[in-house]
Amino acid sequence: MNDHLSKQFDNELEALRSQVLQMGGLVEAQVRGAIQAFSNGNLSLADQVVETETRVNTFEVDIDTDCSQIIVKRQPAATDLRLIMAVTKTVTDLERIGDEAHKIARMARQIHERGVADSGRFANIRHTGDAAVNMLRQALDAFARLDVQDAMRIITEDRAIDIEFKSVIRQLITYMMEDPRTISTALDIIWIAKAIERIGDHAKNICEYVIYIVKGTDVRHTKVQFPEVQPAKV
Amino acid sequence: MTATYLQHFGLLAIAAAIAACVGYFVGPHWGWALFCASVLSLLVYQLRQLGLLLHWVTEKSNAPVPESSGIWDDIFARLYRRNRDQIRTRGRFARLLARSLQAGRALPYGVAVLDKDWRIVWCNDAAESHFSISLSTDRGQVITNLVRQPEFLGYVNAGNYAETLELSTPRADGLVLAIQMVPFVEEHHLLLSRDVTETQKLTIMRRDFVANVSHELRTPLTVMVGFLETVRDLKLDPARSRDYLNLMSEQGHRMQSIIDDLLTLSSLESAPPPHSEEIVDIAALLAQVRNEAEQLSAGRHRVSLVADTSHDLAGNTSEITSAFANLANNAVRYTPENGEIGIRWSAGPAGATFSVTDNGPGIEAEHIPRLTERFYRVDRSRSRETGGTGLGLAIVKHALARHQATLEIESEIGKGSRFTARFPANRLVAKPEQIVAVAGS
Repeated sequence: MNDHLSKQFDNELEALRSQVLQMGGLVEAQVRGAIQAFSNGNLSLADQVVETETRVNTFEVDIDTDCSQIIVKRQPAATDLRLIMAVTKTVTDLERIGDEAHKIARMARQIHERGVADSGRFANIRHTGDAAVNMLRQALDAFARLDVQDAMRIITEDRAIDIEFKSVIRQLITYMMEDPRTISTALDIIWIAKAIERIGDHAKNICEYVIYIVKGTDVRHTKVQFPEVQPAKV
Repeated sequence: MTATYLQHFGLLAIAAAIAACVGYFVGPHWGWALFCASVLSLLVYQLRQLGLLLHWVTEKSNAPVPESSGIWDDIFARLYRRNRDQIRTRGRFARLLARSLQAGRALPYGVAVLDKDWRIVWCNDAAESHFSISLSTDRGQVITNLVRQPEFLGYVNAGNYAETLELSTPRADGLVLAIQMVPFVEEHHLLLSRDVTETQKLTIMRRDFVANVSHELRTPLTVMVGFLETVRDLKLDPARSRDYLNLMSEQGHRMQSIIDDLLTLSSLESAPPPHSEEIVDIAALLAQVRNEAEQLSAGRHRVSLVADTSHDLAGNTSEITSAFANLANNAVRYTPENGEIGIRWSAGPAGATFSVTDNGPGIEAEHIPRLTERFYRVDRSRSRETGGTGLGLAIVKHALARHQATLEIESEIGKGSRFTARFPANRLVAKPEQIVAVAGS
């Protein structure tokens, strides 16, 4: 996809990709900071996450403007058009991930200002959070490398996060039944767990766009059946 | 060269002379004909040699030199020599290049060559693992697309490469890198990365240590000063003031034991490793450890000792005693009343193990790797009441390390913990004449 008559066009597309990944890096750092703020009560980290929010929003608007400009100026077709369509969608997902990180940071502040009874209970949710961060990082790597195989693998990983989310909820329910004083904290934690679960979903979406860019097939809302990753029949 | 020219002119001159003679004696036509024939044959000869040359240069570079004579032999020889020299030089350069690439790959520091648009041109193995990239798939990829930390992007864009950047990577092992960009030929840049995880951990540990020592010493000191002022300023009845004095001396002892432990630690760190000639009488040592633990427990726990004393240990008695006693005393301190504490010693061809098992509350997994740090507390409020100095496990770890032994900690919340010291087999000395199994309750 890098052989256009106009070198300028290539540069524009490349710059677009780099910008998306820069925004991705920012969002990645945001999510990581939010989860750390939650797990070790570092409230200055939470403040940083909240501050980054405006930069992420600026990125979203800028990239969207660039996309529409390229469409108008170059009237791209085939892969280029798919890339630009996928970029506009990826940016939306990234911005939503930023919002979720913001939400986690806010809840973390609330929980830690209230004073936590037992931070050991959070081990489980921190693990889920790390898995989501990892998934987001891999999704962006797949986007940078346009690696379809990796993208397919990551899509299947999302299930693991969903399962962990359910087990976190179950655990929180038992805590709430044991001791009603923990209910308000547990409710806040449910918000965090839900945000983490959503981050996993958005990362999955990004992987689907990668497949769309490279293969031109839309795998959204389909039961994932990848002929490439199925073992060969003997 | 002039000689070969002269040779050719000579040949032509001879041919012309013979042709002139023939022309004079036989007739001018014959003379011209002979001259033409000899010039033609010379031309044919030269063309043939040219053909040979063409054939030779289109062959592989190691084809044999064609047989020739005269000026052509000279030319072939010179060409051959130049060709051979070039092949040799090329080989030398290729070897040099391969060696430098190998040296670059083998460097313990990460090195990546980036072009003016920050695309990856080349990188070595360390850089691949530092940045989780792979040269075979990521060549030509813009580095900031893959290393996406905002700090890194800021560093690259700021252009102030005199400073290094400390970058924590998203890798699972929490790798921390020191990164520096170095301008390189043709607007290229070298990206250097160095693993500073350990250094950073050490810096944090040292900072924590100083803060902790001050804190640990200040707490008893504050109590003492407070009582001193009370005793000085208020008129107290003798019984009350005796109580206060007792409390003060308790705090004094506490400070003393912290300083004793610190001195033990520093002597463990600075003294040369113990001689292996000294033999530790394990049976006596274990009995002593158990007695101490029972005294500390004062009947609140059941302490059992199971030992296979068929072997003795080579090492320093006082260091081993302090390591074992610290493990046993810890178990007593942190296990609630009526708990059970098992001390076990076993020795065999694979080495020896000393273990202390308790059925106390257990330790959460996240604390276990940090337990041997100085003054590390799992629960700050509780540990000090139990009388520990916070240095016990640090002493154990150092004393064991000086005997090439390792400390393993297993624990399960609510079930209890097991601390195991493993000694290598070469530290064991067999005691064949008496095999005694001591079992106590």
